[in-house]
Amino acid sequence: MRKVDLCLSSEGAEVVLATSSDEKHPPENIIDGNPETFWTTTGMFPQEFIVCFHRHVRIEKLVIQSYYVRTLRIEKSTSNEPVNFELWIERDLVHTEGQLQNEEIMAHDGYATYLRFIIMSAFDHFASVHSVSAEGIAVSNLSQ
Amino acid sequence: MVKLAAKCILAGDPTVGKTALAQIFRSDGAHFQKSYTLTTGVDLVVKTVPVPDTGDSVELFIFDSAGKELFSEMLDKLWESPNALCLVYDVTSEQSFNNCSKWLEKVRSLAPGSSLPGVLVGNKTDLAGRRAVESAQARAWALGQGLECFETSVKEMENYEAPFHCLAKQFLHLYREKVDAFHSLL
Repeated sequence: MRKVDLCLSSEGAEVVLATSSDEKHPPENIIDGNPETFWTTTGMFPQEFIVCFHRHVRIEKLVIQSYYVRTLRIEKSTSNEPVNFELWIERDLVHTEGQLQNEEIMAHDGYATYLRFIIMSAFDHFASVHSVSAEGIAVSNLSQ
Repeated sequence: MVKLAAKCILAGDPTVGKTALAQIFRSDGAHFQKSYTLTTGVDLVVKTVPVPDTGDSVELFIFDSAGKELFSEMLDKLWESPNALCLVYDVTSEQSFNNCSKWLEKVRSLAPGSSLPGVLVGNKTDLAGRRAVESAQARAWALGQGLECFETSVKEMENYEAPFHCLAKQFLHLYREKVDAFHSLL
């Protein structure tokens, strides 16, 4: 099976929820494959967004490009609906002044239909997420 | 169009009128609290403030907590990651003005990042005969601290909205600065 970036709108991924949004910097910017566009949080933490793959996938590696994110928690679900999330990964990121944080995570047990990214805290009043990519394979379609 | 959310800390000595200010702002001038009750724990006032000429707004989460316990651990937890500061003193009490620097230091130490939108509010201007802190003196100190300066009489319902509108404007300005910074990362 072909390894692809599963976290792209062009691959069928969709952001189904984001707790904050500025019309000019919508959450779709996270999965458009362009790190120049971004989603911003708009005040206070935690803030979160949920990515739906619309199929069963197995993720092997995650790369998150962001700025000012401090503690990031990632939960996943293997349900057909965005429910039953369980904690998968939690990371404290390092602040890199003037350049994007580039967090690479090798994933274990990466079966998912949804991923939920929760920014628990940040290094400033606001944080941005420029891209999330999830390298892996599509396993099967959702059963109806 | 964006709607921001800001955690706004109301700080200052006991009896300077923090709760009265928050409550009159919440009720658009409908309620002046005539009798004093010491705030214990925290009261939360949530109100959306539009920023003129922008279409944007800021939802202020105003944390009104006891003015007694500057050094309590509970306060550290309650005031964690503040986005804005409304620092209140009583124009008839020099001590309440002098203590402002301690409150400011406290809140700044808990702020994320290096800047914190803030205003200094001298309340009780209706007690003109008992004034102990001159406007110029307060203005000079506020300027040095990067705070915008206001005087209010919550009792006379004078100027009680201006400090909050100013905080909303400052916070939006900060947001725009950060977004510009995010743009320049690549």
